[in-house]
Parts: sequence; C-alpha cells; structure tokens
Amino acid sequence: MTSIGARTAIIAGVVLLSALVFPLYWMIAASVTPESRLFESPSLLPRPLSFEHYRALFAERDFLIPVRNSLVVASMTTVVTVPIAALCAYAVARLRFRGRGVLLALMLAVSMFPQISIVPPLYLMLRELNLLDTFPGLVLPYVTFSAPLAVWLLTAFFRQLSPELEEAAMLDGASRVRALWDVVLPLAAPGVATAAILTFLYCWNEFLFALSFTLGPDRYTVPVAVTLFRGRYQVPWGQVLAATVVATVPVALLVLTCQRRIIAGLTAGASKG
Amino acid sequence: MSRLPVTVAIADARLGRWLVAPALVFVLLGSLVPVAATAWEALHGHDLRLPWLGRPFVGLGNFVEAAQDARFTSALVHTITFAVVTVPVELALGLALALIMHAAVRGRALVRLAALLPWAVPTVVAALVWRFMFEAQAGVITAPLRALGVVGESFDWFVRPLAAWVPIGIADIWKTTPFVAILLLAGLQGIDPTLHEAARMDGARTWRRFTTITLPLLRPAIVVAAAFRMLDALRLFDLAYVMTGGGPGTATESLSLYAFIALMQRLRFGYGSALSVTVFLLTFAFALIWVRALGRSLIGERT
Amino acid sequence: MGHVVRRNKGMDGQLTTPGAHREGRVGTWPRRRRVLRAVTVLLLAMTWAAACGGRDENTRLTLSGSALGPEAEVVRRQLARFAESQPGVSVELRVTPDAADQRHQLYVQWLNARVPDPDVLQLDVIWTAEFAGAGWILPLDEFADDSDDFVPAAVAASRWRGRQYAVPWFVDLGLLYWRTDLLDAAPRTLQGLRAAADRLRSAGATRFGLVWQGARYEGLVTVFLEHLGAFGGGILDTQGRVIVDQPAAIQALTFMCDAVSGDGFVPPSVLAWQEEQTRFAFQNGEAAFMRNWPYAWALLQDDAQSRVAGRFAVAAFPADASGRPTAALGGAQLAVNARSAYPDLASALVRFLTAPEQMLERARLAAQLPARRSLYDSEALAEALAIPVGQVRHILDSAVSRPVTPVYSELSEILQVRLHRALSGQQTPAVALHEAARDMRALLARTGLAAEPLTP
Repeated sequence: MTSIGARTAIIAGVVLLSALVFPLYWMIAASVTPESRLFESPSLLPRPLSFEHYRALFAERDFLIPVRNSLVVASMTTVVTVPIAALCAYAVARLRFRGRGVLLALMLAVSMFPQISIVPPLYLMLRELNLLDTFPGLVLPYVTFSAPLAVWLLTAFFRQLSPELEEAAMLDGASRVRALWDVVLPLAAPGVATAAILTFLYCWNEFLFALSFTLGPDRYTVPVAVTLFRGRYQVPWGQVLAATVVATVPVALLVLTCQRRIIAGLTAGASKG
Repeated sequence: MSRLPVTVAIADARLGRWLVAPALVFVLLGSLVPVAATAWEALHGHDLRLPWLGRPFVGLGNFVEAAQDARFTSALVHTITFAVVTVPVELALGLALALIMHAAVRGRALVRLAALLPWAVPTVVAALVWRFMFEAQAGVITAPLRALGVVGESFDWFVRPLAAWVPIGIADIWKTTPFVAILLLAGLQGIDPTLHEAARMDGARTWRRFTTITLPLLRPAIVVAAAFRMLDALRLFDLAYVMTGGGPGTATESLSLYAFIALMQRLRFGYGSALSVTVFLLTFAFALIWVRALGRSLIGERT
Repeated sequence: MGHVVRRNKGMDGQLTTPGAHREGRVGTWPRRRRVLRAVTVLLLAMTWAAACGGRDENTRLTLSGSALGPEAEVVRRQLARFAESQPGVSVELRVTPDAADQRHQLYVQWLNARVPDPDVLQLDVIWTAEFAGAGWILPLDEFADDSDDFVPAAVAASRWRGRQYAVPWFVDLGLLYWRTDLLDAAPRTLQGLRAAADRLRSAGATRFGLVWQGARYEGLVTVFLEHLGAFGGGILDTQGRVIVDQPAAIQALTFMCDAVSGDGFVPPSVLAWQEEQTRFAFQNGEAAFMRNWPYAWALLQDDAQSRVAGRFAVAAFPADASGRPTAALGGAQLAVNARSAYPDLASALVRFLTAPEQMLERARLAAQLPARRSLYDSEALAEALAIPVGQVRHILDSAVSRPVTPVYSELSEILQVRLHRALSGQQTPAVALHEAARDMRALLARTGLAAEPLTP
C-alpha cells in the first residue's frame, strides 16, 4: 500500500472530502433557510428552519410532475436497455462471431459522440412521428446512449464469470440459449443490477435531450424543470435549491445503498487490460 | 479453451448475431444514422423560420460561414481552453483523492460515499448549487473573498467574461474529480504491494517510490481517465447553459452550446448541424490523436 | 429439458454442478422473474396512465400570454365570460414566463414543434411578421374590415405580405415624461429639450437632464427609433430597404452621442440602464425628463415611493425641423396557432378579447392602453385610465412601428451592438451606422427579404 505520510494524508483527505461534500451540505442548508435570509451573511447552521420552499415547490409549482416524468422515463429506459445490453454483452463475451471486436469498438465510439450532434435529425424525426414531448420520444435517445455503457459493463462482468458452468450444461445436452437462461442469467444478477443502476442514473441526470425534445411542464424531466425556474427579475433561489435537493435524493439513495456495486461497475467498464 | 464441439461453435456464431442485434439496431438507428443525417443536413441551408427559402444544397457553405463567424471561433477557443485547463487539474486532484481512498482503512465506506456523490448528482444540480455559491451579494464564496480584500465591493463573477469561467471550471472539477479518482483507484489496487515493500526495504523514500513505481504502473489508468475527461470536457453543455446561459454576452459559450442555440433557438438547422459536426470532428480528432499517440491502451480487449 | 446431474470439478477446483444454481439459490430465479414481470407491468401501467391523463368532455381552448399581476385576473375573468357564452367550451390560460424573450423562445419552440395548443397566442408586436413568415399563425382575413378602428402603426405591424395575421390588443408608446413644476410646457423641439435640460441642470434643479434606456437591448432600438423619426429618418423605408445609414439617421445618432458624451444633457450611466433604472432616476427627482413607457405613470403617481407624484406629465418626444415627433410602438397582438384544432373558435375568442368592452375593462384593471382609436374619444376610457387620455391621444397618431420583417430580432441585434458602440465612444456614428446597414443588407439579401414593401 502506498504510504504518503499518515498525518498529511489524513489532513489532505479531510480537506478534499469536505470540499466534495460541502456544496451539497450548503444546498440542503440553504433550502431550509427563509428566502429573506438567503443572501445575508452565510451561516453554517440555518436558524430558523423553514420548509416554505418545499411547500411552495410542491403546492405551487407542481414539482411532483417532473419527478414522475423522470421516474417513468428512467424506468422505461432501464427496462429496455438492460435486457438488450445483457444479451449483447453475453454474445460478445462468450460467443465467437465475426465482428465482435468491431462491435465493441463501435459501442465505445458511440459513447464518445457529442450528444448535440444527433439532436437535429432526431428532433425532425420525432416531430414527424408526433413523438416530441412524449415519454417514448425521450426513451429512444436514452436507450441509445446508455446501451454502450451497459454493454461494456456487462461484457466485463460476463468475462469474469467462469465459462465452466455453461459449458458443463451444454455438454450435458442443453442448448446455448437454455444454458444462458438457466445458468448464466441468475449469476448475472449483480452485473445486471449494476447496469440498471447506472442506466437509471444516466436517465435521471440527462439534460440536453430532455431540453430539446420536451416542450412543456407536463413532460419536463427534473433537470429541465429545475433549470426553467427563472423568474422575471430574480431567481427564486430558495425554491430552486429545494428542487435540487429533491433531484438529488434518489441519486443519493442509490449511491448510499449501492456504492460498492457502482464503483465495481465503473472500474470494470474502465479497466481495459 | 472451450471443450465444446465445433457444431456448437457454428450455432454460437449464429446465435451471437441474434443476441447482438437489438443493441446494435438501437445504436445504429439512434446514433450512427442520426450523425450521418446531421452531416448531410450540414451541407444544406435549412432555416425553419424561413420556409420560403426551401432546403437548398450549399455544399460546404455552412462551414465557410462558421470559419468566418467570430462567435464560432471564440466558442471553439473557449471549449478547447476549458478542456486543456480543467482536465489536468481533475487528474491531479483525482490522483490525490484516489491515493487517499486507497490509503483509507477506516471509514472507507464514508470516503467512497463522499467521493461518489458529486459524480452521481445531476450536472444541473451542480451548476445551480455552485452558481448559488458564487452569486454576487452574499454567495458563500464571494463574501469571504470580499472580506479578505481579494475582490472588490461589487464584484460579480457572472458579468465578467473571464471571471465567469471560474465557477464553471470549479463546478466541473468538483463534479468529475471523483470519477477520475475511482478510475485511478482501480489502477492503484492493481499494483502489487510487494513492489513497494521491496523498494522500501531498499531505502527508497515515499516520493521516489511514488514516481518510480506508482506512476508508471498507473499510466494506463491515467491515460484512460484523461481520455474520458477530455472527451467530456470538449462536449461541455450542461454547466454552461445552466450556470451562465453562455453569458455575459457570449463569453462562456461552448461549442455545443452555440450549436444548440443555432439549432433550437435560431432554428437554423443547416448551420447548427454544421456546428454540431464540428463538435463531432473535434472529439473525433482528439480520440484519433490519443489512440495514435498511445497505442492500444484505449481500445479495449481483443476479441 | 432435464439433464443428468453430474458433479464436475472445474479448473479452479470449485465444484461446478450444472444444477448447482438450483440448489444454492432455489426459488430465487423464478421469484426474480416474477418480480421483473410485475415491475414491467407496473411501469407500463404507470406510463399508460400518465400518457392518458384526464379526458375532457368539453372542447378546450388555450390562450397563452403574459399574466403579470393584474393582467392575470383580467384575462381569466374575460376568458370565463367567453366560455359562458359558448356552450361546451372551456378556455384555459397557459401562463408563460414574464420576460418577453423567454416567452418568445417558448413560442418558437412550441410552434416549430407543431403543437396544436395554445390555440391563441399573445404576441409582441415585433414577433408577428416572424411567426407569419414561418407559417406558424393563421391569416385572419375576417378581421381586415375592422382594421380602420385600430392604431395604424399597430395594424401595420400585424400584416405580412399583404395579409393580416394578428389583431392588435393593447399598445405601448414611447413617451416623454416631463416635470410640470420645473417647466411651463413640454419642449416642442429637440433643441428646446436640450436647452431646457441644460438650464435645469446648471440651475441645480435636477442632477440629470434627460434619461432614456441605453443598455444594449431592444429598448435601445426603440429610443433610437424616436430620435430617427425626429430627424426624418428610419430603419427601413416603405419598400423594405435599409436606410439606417442615410444622413438623417447619422444626424440622429450623432445627436444621441453628443447628448451622452462629456457634459451632455444625458448621463453616461444610461448606457447600462433599462426601464426601471430610468424610472428610479425620474422618480427620485434626479432627472428633469425621462423617456419611458406608460406603465411608469401609475408608479410615479404613488406617493409612497415617488417624489414627483402629481408633478409630471407626458408628451410626445420632440422632433427637429426635419422630422416629426415619433413614439415607438410596443404592445401586444393576438394570433391563432396554425395547427390549432379549433381555428374558428379561436378566431371568435380573438374577436371577443379585442372587442371594445374587453379592452376598456383591461384598461381599467391592468392599466393598458387599448389598441382601438375610437375608445380614446370615450369618457369611459378617460375614467378607466390613470394616465390622462388627452395627453396620450395625439401621441397615438405619431406611433411608429419597428421594421416589420421576419428577421427583425437579428436586425435589432445588429443595430443594438452598433448603436451601443457608437454611444460608448468606440465608433463614430457614421461608421457604426454604415457597418450596421451593411450587415443588415447582407442579412436581408441572405434571407430573401431584400425588398419587402411594407403593407400599409
């Protein structure tokens, strides 16, 4: 283990970690500070506590609707992406067919595309199909952009699984599909779960496509709804920050419960020998 | 080495194509075909507000216009400068964070959590929170700076063309350092500790061990992290749009943001497509240079 | 189906039984499958429910417009009255952002995406040609016969290529506010204005002479428009050609630059001011004259915040001998979405909202000037408006609209940049206007609009 000098390490660590966490703390603190006090001298512990911003957020701004929209889109996308990515990843990891490497490289390349470069034709196409400002209209680009990462992740995952199990099943007479269904998929649960989590996170956080392909509060996702809060002369910071807290809660919950998985997924996808 | 008979291999190949098909279809239809369509659109004049002009083929006309467009050139410069400045900072801080996470024995879960949250949070949230902290009157960052006399009384980050980049840069660094740290952490964990033991017994000091053992072995991970970060930085959109809207004026416009404005606000789909293609070419050129310069460490496992 | 269970040893020595998965995790896989299925069904159901929403029996019309303060109440009241008169119809107000350019952006986004609602849109006067040219709003030929009653400049702004596309709803005019306690009468000429401003300043009566909106935004163009008219110039002529680099225009800009420079009678700080800042200056007694819109009247009369309550009046912005007094036209018009599902009903709503009764009510409750000229003769309006109708009435006739062209926002942007450069001394007026004219001509040529005659 690399040792840097225990004390400097601890101090540096605390400083760095505090810097990472502080903005989020500040966000929460400000969201429970009354509007009038928001821009007075900043204090670390807001007193008095006020939940007015949250009340206004849900009662006056109907913030539950963007939350619902984000949940629906993220769920729909995950339900589509994870299965097709799993199938694809299994094929790449286990089966020999021509173009395997090209496919993987293609997936990698696609994940590097700038999102803006597919907006124009997608917008025109969705408009023709009357899919602008709809859930399916968002799911299409979301699946496209989350599939590559899921494929990479699951490929690495499947590669880690010993092929002995399936081969044994197949030597016993099972077909490859049968082996896949009975043997591999149950074992794939952890990888699939990780892929699902990362896909969900991607959809929840995505901004550009949501901004381009939705038109009104009925279908805005959370990031778009929060951004469009601007008032005439001033930004209602109290409500904006309350909204950001709401936007962060699902993410924080996922990270809290699945941090090990998430890190494993990210590093598996990233380590390339 | 597979013990399965050849007939299975043939069936496998066929099955493989079927299993791969759905994902491939989505990727082709959702990414490749649209990019090609954008490139084709970039060769036309297509202003959705001026339907009487039709959609004439203009060849490279849009690109020529872009080359002469001062707003395009500055967006290009902004984007590249942003990437070149923030990525090394993120690498350095990420490395520091990774070393700390690696060294942490107690409170490992807490450290991981603290590191993951900024990465997981929506970029929009990061933009708004940091904007709030940099806000003029009593933003938690501006106030102490003013008290210390570093900045003037009515200093507003967001009305100054250069200063407005600072909050954007810091928000980006804050958000992506954990991602870099995680990538590097994986690399750190792959380093054989006996190497360090041997070196320590030979009397090598910490820094020397760091530079001669850790860094070289970490090189692949650093290269990968740098590549990912660079590509993301060149695609900058969310932070610029939400924090400043490209302002003051067009001082914080990234290339993607300018393309978006041309497309969705000005409805100049031909010109906006050309700008989008430029962003694409920029990232493509970078990826190409990277791969060329560093060989195979980027494109992954062989089949 | 079943295969013989055989115990094997894999290469790493672990027991690998083909059926091992069943033993260690018996029940989990089928359960997982069930859970997955349930979740999928749940999600699909949720999606379907979300997509359907509530089904309305009524025909539902949507109006989209500004809803700032009292406007919202007045509009809702009138919409409800209209709905009552039409059985089976409900009308909804869709609130849009207060800031004009945000609303514009939203409209552009909606209409370009071909949404069928809102059915009726409140447009800023400078947007009508743009939306008409893009094919986003319907021609409203049925209103052509009524157009004589409306303010001519507003009607001109509602037409494009010979057809009418919107109906004027309420108007805004650029006005010269002047201090009645410091002067006997409003200045009749520009020179008179300058002389009075200088006199009052040197006498110490006020700190500034005249204030207007000089920040780099649309308001600056309206101020420039009034100065242009004062010298007999314009931005586009009646044939749609650019004339902003002609001598009259250069004279006008030179006048403005001189006023702002050095010891001129307009403070240089106006270069960062919009409407509210100029209002504060006048309201605190710091300026002898202010060019602003009618909205300021009520606020200036408010004793609680204004130091000049009861001591000011409005007049037309004065002119030079070569020109005539000019008031820039602002305000709003109503148009019908080209993709509306109920165009006839929408048209009926527009006719209702622009009827004299509704306009009077709006004047009374939201203090907005009606677009119908005949109303200015009526007692009812005189009672309804806070601002004295007599002072405003003749200014109506000198109202001038900004160029009516689909690319107005780009033209305006070109002009804004150059004007501001000249005013801040970075360029001479002549150079600034020549460059502006050059860019404007290039823009018009590029968009095929080089010679669009203005429809009278």
